[in-house]
Amino acid sequence: MIKVLLISHAVLGFTAVFAATHHAAHAVLAALARTQTRALRRFGWIAPASILAQAVTGLAIYPAYRVNVRAADLERSAPIVVQLFDLKEHLAALALVLVIGAALAGRQSEERTQWPVAALSCTGAAFLWTAAVIGLYVTARHSV
Amino acid sequence: MREVRAALAAVSAFAVAYLLPGTLQLPVLIYDPAARVFSFGRVTNPVQMRYYGDLIVACIAALAAAAVVWKLQPRRTPLSIATATALSLVGLDVLFYLSRLLAAM
Repeated sequence: MIKVLLISHAVLGFTAVFAATHHAAHAVLAALARTQTRALRRFGWIAPASILAQAVTGLAIYPAYRVNVRAADLERSAPIVVQLFDLKEHLAALALVLVIGAALAGRQSEERTQWPVAALSCTGAAFLWTAAVIGLYVTARHSV
Repeated sequence: MREVRAALAAVSAFAVAYLLPGTLQLPVLIYDPAARVFSFGRVTNPVQMRYYGDLIVACIAALAAAAVVWKLQPRRTPLSIATATALSLVGLDVLFYLSRLLAAM
């Protein structure tokens, strides 16, 4: 069951990364005065839905990580990886609010609000990419 | 405009409410995955986790801030300043967590 959740978390995580990246790209294009209303509406629900789904699966496997990976192995063999994973968790939490906030704010198309939406969206996407890469590295070292 | 201000308030509140309880070791919801027990308080052993509790506090703060800004519609702060403030608070969180990583090296 944990392996199924881990694979679901990975698949949903990459869905969230790519959806948030698309949203960020369209938000920047909208800020550069290119019409992106439909794309921002489309990724304005795909990105939050996928990030919420990956967060739920991540939260579900987190206790197994704490016991089977962190306490059983990494705290003794690689304490730096423990800190790296903690950074990933914090980046993922911040990305959650950034992506959802940008997605909801990006649904309306007032011109002077485009750059703030682009800033939130790009930051959220960057955090998600970093969290995904760290997550892959830690899983490659020792999965749940 | 209203949506963006509410989103910026939510991001700012989340950044503050996510960082402070963990840093100050304030009591939150704690889960012990070894004993499979939820409790309220501070972490007393390294297996216990406060991530759920910190996340709940931050989400409540973000929702409350967004609701207040949505309702009151403050317009005095320019949008660029509000955006810079929200992202600076997020940056402060990242710097703090990055410093803990670097300190462990």
